[in-house]
Amino acid sequence: MEKIESAAESRKLLNKITNDLTRSIVKKDELTRFWFFILIMFVIVGLWGWIVQIKTGLGVTGMRDYVSWGMYIANFVFFVAVSLIGFLISSALHLLKIPWAKPISRVAEQVAIAFVALAGIIIVMDMGRPDRFMNIFLHGRFASPIIWDVTVITTYLAISVLLFYIPLIPDLAILRDKMSDKLPKWQLTMYKILSLGWKGSAEQYKTIYHAMRVLMILIIPVGLSIHTVTSWLFAATLRSGWDTAILGPYFVAGAFVAGTAAVIMVMYVYRLRYGLKDYFEDFHFDYMGKLLVFVCLVYLYFNVNEYLVPGYKMKEADGIHLNELFQGNYSGVFWIVQVAGLILPIFLLLFSYFRKPLPISIISFVVLIMAWLKRYIIVIPTLEHPFLPVQNVPGIFQHYSPTSIEVMITIFSFVAALIIISVLAKLFPVITIWEYASEKGIDKKYLTENDKN
Amino acid sequence: MNNKISYIIIAILFLSVQSFAQEWLVPGDQRNIKNPLEYNLDNVQKGKDLYLKNCKSCHGDPGKNNALPLVPPPVDITSEKMQKNTVGELFYKITNGRGGMPQFKTNISEDDRWRIVNYIMNFNPNREPVLVAAPKVKAKIMASVNEKERKVEVFAEHEVKGKYSSLGNEQITISAKKYFGNIKIGEVTTDNNGRAEFNIPESLIGDEEGNVNMVVSLGEDYIAEAVLLEEAKVGQNKKVQKLIKPGILWSTNENIQIWLLLSYIGAVGAAWAAIAYVVFQLIKVKRLGKTEH
Amino acid sequence: MEKNTRRKFMKTLGASIGVASVAGSSSLLNSCAKIESNNGDKIKLLTSSGELVEVDKSQLKPAEMPSLTEFQKRGREGLPGKSWVMVIDLAKCRNARQCMKACQNHHQLRPEQHHINVLQMQDAEHTAPYYMPKPCQHCDNPPCTKVCPVNATFKRDDGIVLIDNERCIGCRFCIAACPYSARVFNWFEPRDAEKYKGVTYNIEANVPQKKGTISKCLFSADRLRDGKLPSCVSACPNGVYWFGDRNEDAVTNGTTKETVNLTALLKQNAAYTLMEELGTKPRVYYLPPKDRAFPFQEEIKNDH
Repeated sequence: MEKIESAAESRKLLNKITNDLTRSIVKKDELTRFWFFILIMFVIVGLWGWIVQIKTGLGVTGMRDYVSWGMYIANFVFFVAVSLIGFLISSALHLLKIPWAKPISRVAEQVAIAFVALAGIIIVMDMGRPDRFMNIFLHGRFASPIIWDVTVITTYLAISVLLFYIPLIPDLAILRDKMSDKLPKWQLTMYKILSLGWKGSAEQYKTIYHAMRVLMILIIPVGLSIHTVTSWLFAATLRSGWDTAILGPYFVAGAFVAGTAAVIMVMYVYRLRYGLKDYFEDFHFDYMGKLLVFVCLVYLYFNVNEYLVPGYKMKEADGIHLNELFQGNYSGVFWIVQVAGLILPIFLLLFSYFRKPLPISIISFVVLIMAWLKRYIIVIPTLEHPFLPVQNVPGIFQHYSPTSIEVMITIFSFVAALIIISVLAKLFPVITIWEYASEKGIDKKYLTENDKN
Repeated sequence: MNNKISYIIIAILFLSVQSFAQEWLVPGDQRNIKNPLEYNLDNVQKGKDLYLKNCKSCHGDPGKNNALPLVPPPVDITSEKMQKNTVGELFYKITNGRGGMPQFKTNISEDDRWRIVNYIMNFNPNREPVLVAAPKVKAKIMASVNEKERKVEVFAEHEVKGKYSSLGNEQITISAKKYFGNIKIGEVTTDNNGRAEFNIPESLIGDEEGNVNMVVSLGEDYIAEAVLLEEAKVGQNKKVQKLIKPGILWSTNENIQIWLLLSYIGAVGAAWAAIAYVVFQLIKVKRLGKTEH
Repeated sequence: MEKNTRRKFMKTLGASIGVASVAGSSSLLNSCAKIESNNGDKIKLLTSSGELVEVDKSQLKPAEMPSLTEFQKRGREGLPGKSWVMVIDLAKCRNARQCMKACQNHHQLRPEQHHINVLQMQDAEHTAPYYMPKPCQHCDNPPCTKVCPVNATFKRDDGIVLIDNERCIGCRFCIAACPYSARVFNWFEPRDAEKYKGVTYNIEANVPQKKGTISKCLFSADRLRDGKLPSCVSACPNGVYWFGDRNEDAVTNGTTKETVNLTALLKQNAAYTLMEELGTKPRVYYLPPKDRAFPFQEEIKNDH
């Protein structure tokens, strides 16, 4: 983009950009309060459910000795999957120098932080003895995939937070300098502390560019391992349906689908709610649509491998598992997931009409629900069919169905993720102001000059 | 849940009462089958051996009422309840079994099953017993183990008219003590002087040093305590395989594979070093902000 | 006040009771867990096999019970020089379920929790059905201890896979990893939790059970230490189980108490291990259900 030479023009444009992008922070209305009120209500109900679960035991869930992992683990896998988008958009696409992805990267990081944090929380809620959580650090066994998962999730969370925070520093300085009359004092103090005395000097820019580059490279192996290690929780067992070498890349591919859909939805909500039509432009949705088609195709390829190869051979236990998916109890869910979550989006998004903001957001919503159901049928049917018959136990042991407590805690986890995203959107601009301004040709020196002269 | 347990208990009780109450009916044509084998000493003796091997563990010693405490209880073969069966009925019941009583049609031949019937008939009040157990005689065993020659030397005596004298031509059982019981390793017959020597087989396994406790005992016809010999180094050394050793994936951190530990520490260390480096850059940003005042 | 002292007494109460005269079987009274009532000279005791017996008070003497850490330490070490194996003769099983009952009593399990479970099996459509008792296989390449994040389940040098329910975090990864469905979880307060409150945890029997932790067959490691056969092995009325030390090459039948050579037993009966293709190297051998002593009675149902 060419440079804007005139100072007045630069300032005017910068003012507009700043106003647009800080609207979400400044704006205070009933709807926001109502939104938070609803979310907090759900959180309270969910936490109450957790207290009941701790008091009575995990028996309040539908899980039993055979299906010993249920909806919580499905949620966990789903959250880890969605969070992987932070890696794809803010690192992979950046390093590939794909310019349109830049404004989206903060949204992607919000989603990543929220969901990876909730992945950690939901796994604690799934534990029989959450009071012994510290045992993981006191007695951790290096050979256990759970330890690897805990490590990699913590690392990924740290990197995601930094990757969210570092590009934010110049924006925080803008907020600190230009919003003094619009925001409460505590908020300004927070911006002041977090902006680390940002002056906008070339040296400082150089330093944060450098730091970001380090993080973007670092997040590639960490991002890939977070979902690969999660897949190993299943692939490390001998169970049919899990015992495959392809599970790692299969999960990673599936994660990109879920994450892309989640980011598209969040983008659409911001665009609508904060009036950011000129920032999340139609072409962004168009590109994201193409990206979704691409990742869906990759995922489809892995799906064909995952089901066709064992389905061709129908080994004893694999055969029971696949029959259950193809034409048994889970066939309804299985085929809906394959069609509505994979084949239909690929087909529809080939048409440019469906890549417009509203249609693509609706498609993304469907894809996201299907992605969750997919995790559900990855976890549960395998456990319902162990190698040896399930006998001499009550009927509830043979088939899993989630209980109301599980539903409450699941809703809690989703709502908590929404709260994290909402709070981040309420405190920080959803698009990087300074990056966007320089894209538009505004010289960096205008960013830090005082507004009121 | 308690309800469920009590239902189960009631069901079990009900079932067992039923099996008590229900007469074990044998089809008419089977009841009156004649015993094809002759009731003679040979058949009864063989029947006894078969009984000891297959039946005694539940039904106990004849006449001692020491059956296993099962529900329904196994019946003593000398009892009236047992003896009022016809031979056909006994044969049918041994063959087919019911409830806790196994079927023997698959693993005892027809003739042998009749031999067991013959043995039971030996205790029938209406028949002359052909196999009469001699009154048990008090006996003593003295034994020692010769480590060098790997031999057990036995001297047996029995009581004749109030005096002990050497017990000749009698079978002595040699066993070795194991953790849960004695394993029989052979038999030896005493000579006329009541002495016997048993060559310990090479294959015998002892403890880690090859030590074994040998056990010497007499047959059922004698009242004699089995002799537990002192530990002697006559067996092979027990090979103790070490299961837990370094480099085993399923073991604790102490035995972790080096490659795994190094990869883990390497990867985690590198990632967090990079994160620390980035944090350091942030401190640098802050410092730059201050100095340019 | 009285209740308090009784509890304290009970905690230190060991197994040294001369009882051969009181009950027919002397194994009945080992490791008595709780005093039920205290009337005069007789007191009621709950035995490890779950029976309530009345004993003269003078026959009781408190024994030193090892402390929790002592239990855990020796529980992790195991019995030196031993290598426990079990042989299950499928030809003898008639689904009497005495093993399951004895096991549930010993390990304080709820009725739906099975450390050992007698399954009705049919290998293929036209093959004969049979009963198969299925304890933990105590694999020599255990998939369960491999995945435990906190080393709460572990394998000892004598081959037994144990659980420390004072450390278990309840992640249930081991349940997912076990191909034999041998593990159970305490989804609720365990059976008789109130009764056993305050009793020192014995890692070798995994009692008292704890809510939110795993349990499974332990080959009755506490009984082995006392030179006794596992609960299920002793309880079987049909001679199904053989148990012993592989290093000694001898196994003892729980019903007949006969001791035989392990190698010969396995060889003569064409023994096999369960799902050996998985490479778990089980320590439980099965003798095939040929010439079964009891006919299979129920209708076999397909509930894989």
